[in-house]
Amino acid sequence: MATISRRGILAGGTAAAVTAGVWSGPASAQTRHTMIVASGQDIPNFDPHVASGYSSSFALRNLYDTLVAVEGNPPKTVPQLAESWTISPDGMEYVFKLNQAARFEDGSPVTADAIKYSFDRLLRLNQGNVWMVAGVLDKSSVSVVDPGTVKMRLVAPFAPFLEVLPWIWVVNPKIVEANKGTDDGQSFLRNAAAGSGAFRLKRVETGNLYEFERVARPWRAGGGNLTGAIWKIARETSTQRLMIQQGEAHIALDLTSEDMDALKGRPGVRLVMEPDYRTFQIKMNTQHGPLADVNLRKAISYAFDYQAMLDVAGHAVLMQGPLPNGIFGFDDKLVVYRTDLAKAKEYLAKSSTPNGGITLKMTYVSGLEQERRWSLVMLDSLAKLGIKLDVQPVLWPEFSGSAASPATAPDFFPIYETANFADPDNLAWAGFESSRNGNWSNPTFADPKVDAVLIAARKETNAAKRVALYKQFQQLVVADAPDIFGVLELRKLALRTNVRNYVFSPVASNVIDLYPLSLA
Amino acid sequence: MSATSSARARAWRRGFYRFRQSLLSVVGLTLVGLLILAALLGPMIVPFPQDLAGTVHTAARFQPPGAAHWFGTNELGQDVFSLVLAGTRISLLSGMAVVAIGAAVGVLVGAIAGFFAGWIDELLMRLVDLVLTVPSLILAMAVAAALGPGIVNMVVAITLSWWPGYARLVRGEVMAKKNEAFVVASIAAGAGVGRLLWRHILPNILSPIIVKMSLDVGFAVLTVASLGFIGIGVRPPTPEWGTLLAVSRGNIPDDWWTAICPGTAIFIAVFAFNLLGDGIRDLLDPRARR
Amino acid sequence: MVSFIARRILLLIPVVVGLTMLVFAITRLVPGDPARLAAGPNATPAQIEAISRQFGLDRPLPVQYWRYATGLLHGDWGMSIYSRRPVLQDLRDYLPATLELVLAAMALAVVLGIPLGLLAAIYRNRWPDMLTNVVSMGAISMPRFFLGLLFQLGFAMALGWLPLSGRFPLDEDVPPHLTGLLTIDALAAGDLHACWVALQYLALPAIAMSLSPLATIVRMMRASTIEVLQQDYVTTERALGLSQRLILFKYVLKNAISATLTVIGLYFGWLLGGTVLVETVFDWPGIGLYATSAILTQDFMPIVGVTLCIGVLFVVVNLLVDVIYAALNPRVRLK
Repeated sequence: MATISRRGILAGGTAAAVTAGVWSGPASAQTRHTMIVASGQDIPNFDPHVASGYSSSFALRNLYDTLVAVEGNPPKTVPQLAESWTISPDGMEYVFKLNQAARFEDGSPVTADAIKYSFDRLLRLNQGNVWMVAGVLDKSSVSVVDPGTVKMRLVAPFAPFLEVLPWIWVVNPKIVEANKGTDDGQSFLRNAAAGSGAFRLKRVETGNLYEFERVARPWRAGGGNLTGAIWKIARETSTQRLMIQQGEAHIALDLTSEDMDALKGRPGVRLVMEPDYRTFQIKMNTQHGPLADVNLRKAISYAFDYQAMLDVAGHAVLMQGPLPNGIFGFDDKLVVYRTDLAKAKEYLAKSSTPNGGITLKMTYVSGLEQERRWSLVMLDSLAKLGIKLDVQPVLWPEFSGSAASPATAPDFFPIYETANFADPDNLAWAGFESSRNGNWSNPTFADPKVDAVLIAARKETNAAKRVALYKQFQQLVVADAPDIFGVLELRKLALRTNVRNYVFSPVASNVIDLYPLSLA
Repeated sequence: MSATSSARARAWRRGFYRFRQSLLSVVGLTLVGLLILAALLGPMIVPFPQDLAGTVHTAARFQPPGAAHWFGTNELGQDVFSLVLAGTRISLLSGMAVVAIGAAVGVLVGAIAGFFAGWIDELLMRLVDLVLTVPSLILAMAVAAALGPGIVNMVVAITLSWWPGYARLVRGEVMAKKNEAFVVASIAAGAGVGRLLWRHILPNILSPIIVKMSLDVGFAVLTVASLGFIGIGVRPPTPEWGTLLAVSRGNIPDDWWTAICPGTAIFIAVFAFNLLGDGIRDLLDPRARR
Repeated sequence: MVSFIARRILLLIPVVVGLTMLVFAITRLVPGDPARLAAGPNATPAQIEAISRQFGLDRPLPVQYWRYATGLLHGDWGMSIYSRRPVLQDLRDYLPATLELVLAAMALAVVLGIPLGLLAAIYRNRWPDMLTNVVSMGAISMPRFFLGLLFQLGFAMALGWLPLSGRFPLDEDVPPHLTGLLTIDALAAGDLHACWVALQYLALPAIAMSLSPLATIVRMMRASTIEVLQQDYVTTERALGLSQRLILFKYVLKNAISATLTVIGLYFGWLLGGTVLVETVFDWPGIGLYATSAILTQDFMPIVGVTLCIGVLFVVVNLLVDVIYAALNPRVRLK
């Protein structure tokens, strides 16, 4: 039976020495340890200075290395290409001493030149993760002290600087220059890799799967026994769930609460459900339409059925304000809106539409089942205020495009925000700083007081002062009720029990570092 | 004239007799009758009408079929039986609208092509060929997605690929009838084209059109559900069978009723219309006799 | 014969041209901005504009079409905004999977349909006939996507006999690429194990796809066989003492071939364009899935490419069917 033999292979015994591929068929598979990761998201681009999104990040994390990495729970910064570093007292200068053992796949050492080249390329192309260092680094910031030492002089202080470095990957300048073409190597790096990571790209089948293969001599210490991995695109979460159940996949990344419940108690399955920094909120159009009126926004904030939202979300907790629970600077004493129909009616009476009678519009990204359900919860909640809701599923390009101006943005705009780094600046800036207006992460909210607080918090190096600033930030935001603060879904991952050494980390927890993992 | 009309009447009677004799056709007719009843009365007789408006009772989510909820409840605690029953109206009406509009447009185009012949015929038939080479489901999907969600957009999108079949059929029939004695005589007597087509030709070619329409309804309903399944079609919280099936796909096998019920509804509806269509064809088209 | 073929080929051209225009026009009626998706969620307006320029989206419509049409002739079917690969390359990757599915479905339909139709004709109006009729009616009525889900539920989840989705186990090497049809490639490489595995993955989707053509073949075989059995020349030959078997075989075979040809012609294009639903359920990486992604992300070059590809294949297959038909039946050529 195909299923059993496959499971047997995957769970197969110790690796025997491989003779150069003589046999075809299942026998040779036993000497391989291929980790199969099931996800619904495609990897359209492998260029480390252009791509964004968790699927690309997964690929890049394993194909490339960064100066420092992040791991563990709570997350901590660990050395990677840099083995040690010093920070100047004013927080403006960082000096990194590079690990002499680091090698690109072609055997050449990872020198300071490569670091400078990579950072410069990121800034030059101005895409991908450049926003993390926007206003912090410019083209004269990175300098080579000697082949083993890099210095970075920041344009402005940035407290979480070390936390964004795990997302700025280092490419092999020799290979990129050789394949530069007319677009700075973008066409080349789209489907090929030039890194120092423990894996290389073996097979690319866009829309279906991507295969990674371990390099001959990985320089990083402490690797597991994986010989390769496959990122398999399975669009339905139920398919991912069944793949885990049948042993056809080792890790599933997009499971819903129902999937997790269905998997509970199944043999060979390990469930990971942990809080992480991914928020879900329904943003309101604060500049155009009926919701520009803060009283109406407050009325809706009190009318919304938070319990229903939680029930639908399953394994999640309600947000308590704009920042995810537990993150640095989180104010756990903050008073937030909870369902209270009396208060809702009170604010409704103060608003410009005291009897409701209007129709509001909510769009959501077609295909996201949870958002569909939450929009129906909103429909039901608004009905209690005599307000009708027009729910419209739209495609992503239209959805993000509608954020471009307050006139085109819908009244309700539901989005997930994932923190790339475990610092409140990430979500606060992306979600509430006015320069982000017109972008899907913050279509309309603009408050100069909030901007001032965020800019100050970014520059501030004293931890206690930062906490105070973020406290102020949260209070200002909640008072203005620009969003329905929704849920923090627990990160839900399912693994086969023969996956070893997996440690959950709440920062980009679906961007899995393959190197330390093993298959038993 | 009276000779042919009484001959026609006899043919009809014979046809009805044959129809009654065929068990399957009767079953089809009964089922379709029930479905139409459900479509007409559906939203008014559902046990939980508030669920159709989108009320949410998450405390009662995913209850299996039982006394209170015959088809169980879904992810929001809504009654699946109510949703499926209400969905009958949308699926049936959309399917019938597609066939009706498609037939109307197709008959018009085909009649014009068949009657005037010459370059008009060439042009129109090339257009028909063109539309027929485009894969119909993909065309419908692309257009519906482009137009945006909503029942009207969906019907328009599907109709775009539905009308050519009728155009071809009618063109052939009109061409055949055009040279018959009574037509030539009418033209000589000064009858206008429109009147000729409407009064004289069309009634004589009604049979194959009706046969085709009745055979098509089932597939139209299926196409509507297919678009709903892909995720193109109606706006929430409108209950449509294909959409209901799509959103409940992940609930198999644990909360199977949320998917099995709408899926089976689609099957029964299409099956019923196919049975009926077959029966009508046996009735009107003696060549298809067993 | 040659002039017949030549005439048909010439008629192909305006149809194909018209096809590209039609689909191109429809996809450009789209609201929303395709360049924005390609640029990614954190892109600046400048980046989006650059992509817009790169794909020529800022030029007037007729200019865009002209670029496209001339490009086609050079083998440039445009770029997918999403995957940023040439559409032709994507089609080359995805078409074999769909072809394999369609061919398998047609094969099943023919292999099962012809004997079933025969059976129904021989036992006309008795219970095997009735049963076949109801079952084939049910087969046509069953939504393919629902059936696919039921298959997964039954055969994959409950019984575990067949795999859930996909074409081939992920951790095994696919047979060396020859046609892209895994079963054929496996056989060509002499790898029976791989062929068997590929067949297991092919089974459920192919069965789901085969039901409609199967039902039609059964009906056509039945109808034409009944007709044959009632013909004069059959009764004459019977009177002359030829065995019933031989008569049946001779004429029925002829009808079988023509029924099959007709159904192939009818269904090939329909199946090619209709694999979308089954591919969605079974995660089968063919052009149906490719087209669906393109439609949902408003990636218009792939939509045009897929429609053109299917349309051309449809027209070509119809041509082949007509030619074979004409070869077997000279009267048709004289039209």
